[in-house]
Amino acid sequence: MLTIKDLVYSVSELKDDGTEKRKEIIRGVDFTFVQGKFYAVTGPNGSGKTTLSKLIMGIYKPDSGRIVFDGQELTGLSISERARLGIAFSFQHPARFKGMSFRSLLGIAAGTDDEKVLHRILLRVGLCSFDFLDKEVGSKLSGGEIKKVELATTIARNPRLAIFDEPDTGIDLWTIGPMVELLQKEQHENGTTTIVISHNEKFLRAADEVILLKNGKVAHVGSFDNTLPMLKDIDLCSWGEHCLEETDARCYR
Amino acid sequence: MLDAIDKQLLKAVADLEQIPQGAYNIRKNGQLESRKVTANINIVANARKSGIDITVAPGTVNESIHIPVILNKANLLDIVENRFFIGENSDVTIVAGCGIHCGSDKPEGHAGIHEFYLEKGSRIRYVEKHYAAGPGSGKRTLNPVTKVYLAENAHVEMDLVQIGGVDKAERKNEAELGPGSSMLITEKVMTDGKQRAVSNNKIILRGKGSRAELISRSVIKGSSKQDFFGSIDAYAQSYGHLECDAIIMDKGTNETVPALRSFHPDAELTHEAAIGKIANAQLMKLMSLGLEYDEAVSRIIQGFLQ
Repeated sequence: MLTIKDLVYSVSELKDDGTEKRKEIIRGVDFTFVQGKFYAVTGPNGSGKTTLSKLIMGIYKPDSGRIVFDGQELTGLSISERARLGIAFSFQHPARFKGMSFRSLLGIAAGTDDEKVLHRILLRVGLCSFDFLDKEVGSKLSGGEIKKVELATTIARNPRLAIFDEPDTGIDLWTIGPMVELLQKEQHENGTTTIVISHNEKFLRAADEVILLKNGKVAHVGSFDNTLPMLKDIDLCSWGEHCLEETDARCYR
Repeated sequence: MLDAIDKQLLKAVADLEQIPQGAYNIRKNGQLESRKVTANINIVANARKSGIDITVAPGTVNESIHIPVILNKANLLDIVENRFFIGENSDVTIVAGCGIHCGSDKPEGHAGIHEFYLEKGSRIRYVEKHYAAGPGSGKRTLNPVTKVYLAENAHVEMDLVQIGGVDKAERKNEAELGPGSSMLITEKVMTDGKQRAVSNNKIILRGKGSRAELISRSVIKGSSKQDFFGSIDAYAQSYGHLECDAIIMDKGTNETVPALRSFHPDAELTHEAAIGKIANAQLMKLMSLGLEYDEAVSRIIQGFLQ
């Protein structure tokens, strides 16, 4: 349902001598996501996980390559257009909106302000208190609450493809299990193709396929069990280029 | 008689489609248009620049007072001084507001100077909306002044809104709080084009246990300019908070100067101030929910001024 072909994305970076150079963050990714499957994307910091997901949503524009969704070329389509095609994105650090109630935000996501519909969405995502709708999506929400808001607005879209960027950030350990179950339920009941970016074992175990990214490339694809040894072996250090040698005292590991 | 334009202005500033329930005083072009008093709320003309004195009897609850002002006369600069005497343990809503319709190139303006005296344990909710419209190019000016004096355990909530169309506004809010009294002021102002709005606020926490919160939200479009000056001075064990946020669109400019002064060791005063454009993360989020860029901007502003 989603095919990524030879995707490249770079950013400009200042060198020590003040000149600019291009740094490739995504260095030729090819992958096909199958309808209704649950994917976990993992890999070291700086491997390009978030960048790849933002390229799919249209938040970043690739240098080259193609992204095809249900047979439609996404290149050139805006974020809004991609959203209307059925792609939803859950941000790692969700935006907060001064003065805007959760009711308004959820209403935008669901495309209706019908109370009954909003209540059904709350129950679907396990937010049992309807009073929560009148809370401001502002700075007073806790880290866990804002992530629940983010999750609810993503699911309210009834997306064909849902991308969750580190959904467990700021969530307490006891909530991660139910969150995994919720995403699996959405996958099974609505056939939502699900991509979760995470380091959390619970998400990796729930995935049909684990995609391991390293240095902007797909390093490995497989089940959790056959990816686990790779995850243990992989160099999770992102200070590699600053490192002199294995035993150097500057090593931050 | 009220014509169609008057009715439109009344709708904009006081949400009035018909003659209001309860007490009211409608002022048009510097003259009394109509007035109604109730058993508990009296309205009489005072000697100060054709203003009114409104007296709410002690213990009056669940009643409202509407005192809208409308203007559509060229070269009229209407100044009015009103006083509100709110009796002990009463709880009333006051809806004020001024609507200007400008049909010529001549200026029109209004300055409503409102003094509130709240007796022990009384509560008011004061809603004031300012709005100007019309095809004329004349300058529309609104310079409101509110002065509030709160006796023991009195409480006031003020919603001050300038919706649009006002070329120049200079607001002055002053308050002095007695023991155990509290106030919440929310001010929302949107300017566009070359409009200019200044808000000066001075809150004095005089009594023990008094609490004041002032929230200012500004949306500054076009090349307009809005400035906010707010101060809280505490002379007792008290709590005060200032929150001023300005969203700059286009080429708008803003000066925000919050000031806190404590003259008592147990005063707790805080402020939060922010000036900036709409955050990119907010736009991305709403666009990822299917809104186009312009719709996303408008929903963010709408929420901010909610």
